[in-house]
Amino acid sequence: MEDRKQILKDLLEVLKTVRTIDPAKLEGVTEETDFLADMNAPSTELINIAVKVEQKFDVEFEDDDIDRLGSKVKDVIDLIILAKERSK
Amino acid sequence: MPIQGRKVAVVGMSAAVPTCKGLDDFSNKLFAGESMIRLWDKAVARGKQMRSTVAGYITPEEMDLEPIYNAVSEEYPETFIDLQGRIPDINLATADMGSIWAMIGAKESIEMAGWTEAETRSEGTGVIMGSGGGGHEILRVAWHGFFHEGKKTRYAGSHTVDRAMGYREAANVSCLIKNRGVCESIVSACATGLGNIGYAYRLIKFGLQDRAIAGGIEGTALETFIGFDAMQVLAKGFSPEESSRPFDLKRNGFVCSFGSGVVALEDYEMAKARGAKIYGVIDEYFNNSDGDGDMFAPSFAGQKRLWAGLAAGGAHIKPDVVKVHGTSTPVGDIIELLSVADVLGESGYHISAPKSQFGHMLGAAGSVELIAALQMLDKQKVSPCINSETLNTELEFFQLKDNWKGPMKPVAEYRHLIPQQAVEKEINQIVCLNYGFGGTNSALALSRDV
Repeated sequence: MEDRKQILKDLLEVLKTVRTIDPAKLEGVTEETDFLADMNAPSTELINIAVKVEQKFDVEFEDDDIDRLGSKVKDVIDLIILAKERSK
Repeated sequence: MPIQGRKVAVVGMSAAVPTCKGLDDFSNKLFAGESMIRLWDKAVARGKQMRSTVAGYITPEEMDLEPIYNAVSEEYPETFIDLQGRIPDINLATADMGSIWAMIGAKESIEMAGWTEAETRSEGTGVIMGSGGGGHEILRVAWHGFFHEGKKTRYAGSHTVDRAMGYREAANVSCLIKNRGVCESIVSACATGLGNIGYAYRLIKFGLQDRAIAGGIEGTALETFIGFDAMQVLAKGFSPEESSRPFDLKRNGFVCSFGSGVVALEDYEMAKARGAKIYGVIDEYFNNSDGDGDMFAPSFAGQKRLWAGLAAGGAHIKPDVVKVHGTSTPVGDIIELLSVADVLGESGYHISAPKSQFGHMLGAAGSVELIAALQMLDKQKVSPCINSETLNTELEFFQLKDNWKGPMKPVAEYRHLIPQQAVEKEINQIVCLNYGFGGTNSALALSRDV
């Protein structure tokens, strides 16, 4: 659980660098926050977020992971944890 | 078919030109005979890889843009910050450098035109603009990451397509201004800028659109420069400001430049009815092809047919100034001059060759030069052809061939047509000429609103 909180914190740092997301939308982000519906991020931006996440967390996602990726914050956190476990 | 009597007015304009801060600065430099060409540090940094190192370039900083570099490559601008807040981040995300210039140009042109939001967003408003597309820094980094670094495709980012596609400038402008009319690009190499404006003119003249944002753009890219440098067609051996020298005996190539020219066009009667300031009226546009199967060589016959086509449209063509393509290449300039003289005679007009001051902007050449022509109409001055110091007193090699059908005088005999300093005179009509690889020719006649 503590890990997920830290990941969320680090993820927010990544999201702050995405200029198509209004910084005001990053206030009060939870795992249930939806990138598309709540942050108004363009759908094309999700792939850029995924690449930034790979760099930030030093993980590599599979194409299938990204194809199946949901649009909520928790979906990205789940994927980061999965990728970290896979790389052990 | 054209609607009889329908005229097209220029009601707004904006240009991004090397070393210039806005239209007034551009106009002042134009008539003062100042060169806008500089030594390009990016080319110089490549040492002996480069043959030529002078260019008319614009940096992001000069446009008040701050590049945000991608962590994958320090050379890859992932997006830009508009330090003046002119363009929203959502639009900057899908734009390369040239598209940002186009959006700034469109916004400034619409403001100058005084179009309401409802007019701009109507079905009667079109966006017609494009670039020459000879090179692109976005693609360089994207392809390098994949082919050489073995990165997954997604490392190129999700905006490689929209930032590099053929009609990216038009698409980005249309998304910014939210027009509901046509959104297209005309791409015809160095005739692109004039081609887009000519096509937009036709859309209005034919009654398909009421107004249009039109122009040509060439975003700064070393890739574009490299392509021409490889062809050995760029100027070499002169100081930057002396490198572009149309018609001069010592000219040895063109100066590769970058920029953007955007105009707002509108049905003349609509513009008049709402009290808009009219900067010029487009009398006619015509374009054709050489038809001789030569990708690069200019065609005297093709250019003469161009003039004939321009006059056949019904407009009275008697220019006080001919704004020529005049690139400073050994062959092109003189063929062009002789075709003009063959059609118009040897007096009664002046030749303006603005590339002598800002180089060859490729896809933006026609549109920025049209804006230079609008400045000439406004100021009633002919821009100087700087560096045209010495004209050949002997016949050109092609004039000695049996099949030459043009004037049999050396270029020096036309000195009086080519001013080296700005000339004040009454200017009622200017014909703008531009040509491109593939043997494409375009001509547009522009008049003062009287």
